[in-house]
Amino acid sequence: MIPAPFDYTRPTTVEDAVTALRAGGAGAKVIAGGQSLVRMLQRRLVRPTLLVDVGCLSRMREVVEEPDHLVIGATTTQHELLHDARVRAHAPLLSLVARHVGDPAVRHRGTLGGSVAHADPAGDPPAAVLALDGEIIVEGPRGERVIPSAEFFVGPFRTALEPDELLVGVRVPKMGEGWTVHYEKFRLSAQKPTLLGVAVMVRRVGDCFTDAHIALANSGSTPVRATAVEVALVGADVTEEAVTKAADLLDGTMEPFARQGVSQAYLAHLARVLTRRAVVAALSW
Amino acid sequence: MTGFEVRVNGRTHDDAPRPGQCLRTYLRGHGWFGVKKGCDAGDCGACTVHVDGTPVHSCLYPALRADGKQVTTVEGLATDGELHPVQEQFLAAQGFQCGFCTAGFLITAAALDDEGRADLPRALKGNLCRCTGYRAIEDAITGVKHVEEPADGEAVGRNLGAPAGPQVVTGTARYTFDVDVPGLLHIKLVRSPHAHARITGIDTAAALAVPGVRVVLTHEDAPQRLYSSAQHEIVEDDPCDTRVFDDVVRHVGQRVAAVVGETEAAAEAGARLVRVDYEVLPAVTDAHAAMRPGAPVVHDKDPVEARIARPADNVLAELHDEFGDFAAGLAEADAVYRGTFRTPRAQHAALETHGALAWFDAETGRLTVRTSTQTPFLTRRSLCALFDLPESDLRVVAGRVGGGFGGKQEMLVEDVVVLAALRLREPVKLELTRSEQFSGSTTRHPFTVEVEVGAKADGTLTALRVHVVSDTGAYGNHGPGVLFHSCGESIAAYRCPNKRTDAYAVYTHNVPSGAYRGYGLGQVIFAVESALDELAHRLGIDPLLLRERSAVRDGDPLTTASGAEEDLLIGSYGLDQCLDVVRAARAEPVGPVPGGWLVGDGAALSMIATAPPRGHFGEARLRLLADGTFELSVGTAEFGNGSTTVHRQLAASALGVATSRVSIRQSDTDLVRHDTGAFGSTGVVIAGTAVLRAAEAMVGALLGAAAERSGVDVSRCALVGRGVDCGGRVVPFSELAAGEPLTTTGHCDGTPRSVAFNVHWFRLAVDPGTGEVRVLRSVHAADAGQVLNPMQCRGQVEGGVAQGFGAAVAEHVDTGADGAVTTAAFRQYHVPTFADVPRTEVHFADVTDPLGPLGAKSMSESPFNPVAPAYANALRAATGVRFTDLPLTRDRVWLGLSRD
Repeated sequence: MIPAPFDYTRPTTVEDAVTALRAGGAGAKVIAGGQSLVRMLQRRLVRPTLLVDVGCLSRMREVVEEPDHLVIGATTTQHELLHDARVRAHAPLLSLVARHVGDPAVRHRGTLGGSVAHADPAGDPPAAVLALDGEIIVEGPRGERVIPSAEFFVGPFRTALEPDELLVGVRVPKMGEGWTVHYEKFRLSAQKPTLLGVAVMVRRVGDCFTDAHIALANSGSTPVRATAVEVALVGADVTEEAVTKAADLLDGTMEPFARQGVSQAYLAHLARVLTRRAVVAALSW
Repeated sequence: MTGFEVRVNGRTHDDAPRPGQCLRTYLRGHGWFGVKKGCDAGDCGACTVHVDGTPVHSCLYPALRADGKQVTTVEGLATDGELHPVQEQFLAAQGFQCGFCTAGFLITAAALDDEGRADLPRALKGNLCRCTGYRAIEDAITGVKHVEEPADGEAVGRNLGAPAGPQVVTGTARYTFDVDVPGLLHIKLVRSPHAHARITGIDTAAALAVPGVRVVLTHEDAPQRLYSSAQHEIVEDDPCDTRVFDDVVRHVGQRVAAVVGETEAAAEAGARLVRVDYEVLPAVTDAHAAMRPGAPVVHDKDPVEARIARPADNVLAELHDEFGDFAAGLAEADAVYRGTFRTPRAQHAALETHGALAWFDAETGRLTVRTSTQTPFLTRRSLCALFDLPESDLRVVAGRVGGGFGGKQEMLVEDVVVLAALRLREPVKLELTRSEQFSGSTTRHPFTVEVEVGAKADGTLTALRVHVVSDTGAYGNHGPGVLFHSCGESIAAYRCPNKRTDAYAVYTHNVPSGAYRGYGLGQVIFAVESALDELAHRLGIDPLLLRERSAVRDGDPLTTASGAEEDLLIGSYGLDQCLDVVRAARAEPVGPVPGGWLVGDGAALSMIATAPPRGHFGEARLRLLADGTFELSVGTAEFGNGSTTVHRQLAASALGVATSRVSIRQSDTDLVRHDTGAFGSTGVVIAGTAVLRAAEAMVGALLGAAAERSGVDVSRCALVGRGVDCGGRVVPFSELAAGEPLTTTGHCDGTPRSVAFNVHWFRLAVDPGTGEVRVLRSVHAADAGQVLNPMQCRGQVEGGVAQGFGAAVAEHVDTGADGAVTTAAFRQYHVPTFADVPRTEVHFADVTDPLGPLGAKSMSESPFNPVAPAYANALRAATGVRFTDLPLTRDRVWLGLSRD
């Protein structure tokens, strides 16, 4: 239960952090809230040679409001996502999802950037960022880079981040008129990890869906968009039948990452049922 | 690292943490023992502390990051000697049992905002409690008061608080590892990666070269002698198949060597470097396969010496008995049901892991073992036999024990610390990790139970047969006891003239099974209660009516397939009252149900002997102290079940004094001569009887001494509160204490035995879309005889129900093809949280038992037993599907529905 030896640095600027990451090479690892990493270190599931602690980088803790976007600093905690007035007003899906992350103590330490960079396919925040069409803001030796969330998650616990790059923030569009959101999380029991998560944003005009973003957690090696369902919903009437019909397009070929001992048939069925329920719930948001 | 400084509860610590150290170990290293280790993975919440006012899991918090911060542990919650309101509330509601999780709950609760208080299931998600079932914790947080003030002469039947309450809520109760022993060495174990292998060589050179590593102990250092890790009064009841370290390993995770280091880090580093060469042997991990010809033999031992029934067939123990004529009974039946039921491995998940310390007293040279055990005296006897020590040279003592549930009726660590201490003559400690607890301690025995039951059209049973296969794993320990008990009260609870049992406890190369709350009964009760329910459905009669017609009645003999047990009788009978409670609950209207959900209700009953068979000895001693108060010494241990509270009530009641006048010492081989210990639900019935007898003897001694002192005839002397009224003049106890020392002793030999009853009933709603089940109502009726402390007995019932609920819906220790445990953390093995556990209405029958102390019966293991079958029976009523395999997880429920 004692981690393998590593060096530790606590830079005070993003530039210093990037320099440290670069110097540390493949053995360097960023620690944000540490709620996943410390546990992995103690069990020696990861054995970095250098830990770069980004807890002191004030720039990464800010929430900045732009005309059409919100830029959320990477070390914004889940607790802050849950309570920040701007996040609640402009990106309520992130607040909804933060409510489901860990427990209160974990939410006080765990960060949005940490969760996104950790890229657990069963993680709730990555699915929400994907549903939001969020952009991942990265600083590296070559300067700033913005990676669309659709390109950011490349595999289980793998992202498009280079080893010498630091995730500094997530930019999400402000929610416009007519949009409603919901996050449906299904677990086998209260403390179990997500068996299936459905992040939904829909927009209706009158009795018609005009837009739909749906992302699923634990339905693949990364969070995935339910594109077929989205396409079917747009232009469809706002009726339970239409929603059911669209949700039933989930064909069950999605392979869950963490199976938790349940059958593929059950997961495929859950995906359809929960997607339907999530869209219906979003409508009554 | 320079300039590190952290303020903890107002005190400054400025020594830098070790590289990679978490805040939990840093704090404990500085004597803040209120911070507990339950998992070291952020799952259980026992180590929760405030950092700058915010609760965090200190095990996931790098200690370095506490630099410049204010840390508050449970020890710092009180200010200026005034308890924090949440501490007062936990005391007033008695929001704890063993108390190991309490510090974490207090810290979490102290930081709750209104939103958190309004949503406790979510707010308390990060804190696990294994004892209470959470209702008492909810009451504490919401400010409900239960504890009454002690007063002279009215102790029994009242809600008096646990003696250790003030220590528990302030973090000053001392559990096993909460001691600072100078020069303490640390032990880490090397464990087998193979299910079955012979060790051909162990190279310890690299481990010994690690700075700080003192010694590596292997099978070459261990006694050749075999023993059983199970602890029972009669040693010969258990198989003799275990060595401290063996040269053959029989399951993945079996201990192979111990590395002793000056620090945990050195011991861990050394353990990683011990090189073991194995000759891998064929393994069998399925109990049915293990009994087939040609299966690998787990223990190639002499059957008589090792006390194994058929070692060559991997059969540790078996039972084949028939009462009446089963075949004839079956032929008479109007309906027959036959089904096969399976229950998985489960983990006790006591929040305090196993562990022990051993040290030599510098002056006397005597060895002390401080351990988390249910059986200090039996463990001393086992250690002395193993290492050829006279009992006078060894003291075994328990601190406060952080949960047991049967898992600590086992010697799993004490042998290793004694081996190391004898070798090095220095103090040593071994504390298991949560992961070791899963893969290297014991589990509940997985059972496969086939039931065949026949009845007449009116529900009268004509034939009942069970066929049981129990997987005892790689070592036998409790295997025979659990097997025999499993086919005892489960079968005897029903009137049926023809009964048959065929049962096998089978060795496999799996993690060993062991004693677990219910001791086998729960597994067979699940099968029998499910089968009877199904039979009732097939006969078209009310399942509750079938039980009322078929269950034993007052005055009935208690017969299993083996006939009647000599000293077991229905001393008192409250089952009818318990069934009436359920009947009444069932008649009440169903509350609101989500649209489209299926609703049904179901019940199950259970019976349990109030003590184990074949002798269980309790001993207590009472002493009058100089200040006129009494010191009660009890031999047995308590691990959160509340027996200590009741012991003090029993003594105070007999002496006519307030409980505050009786101090308690316990769980220490220096206190009394011999005590079998805390298992088999004996804390109140046996140890309590011993206490009562010591107190009654003390009453006689006090009256005699007062009579002599006052010159008044003893017939005119009577106890009055804090003294003896001798014909009008009161001689205070303190005056009597000035004379001859007054000490009395009480014994109980645990026979004859009575039975206690439990009935559980659920009303459930099932979501056919996902298999999610909601408990609409949960009712438990218990016949505990006279209830000596209603608050605490209710807590025992709720805790048992919660553990039974976990077994019913969630818990399963999984193993891979090689038997390796794959669910070795709370992140994989899910103990129910606050959010999972339904609130249960608890009812007690109005019964007085002539055999128990002041009419009491046991209520320890038993509330667990009817929960899973009641749940399955309610599911059957809701869905029409008979579920036979535990646990009844959402995916299994959905699968059952979609197959239907």
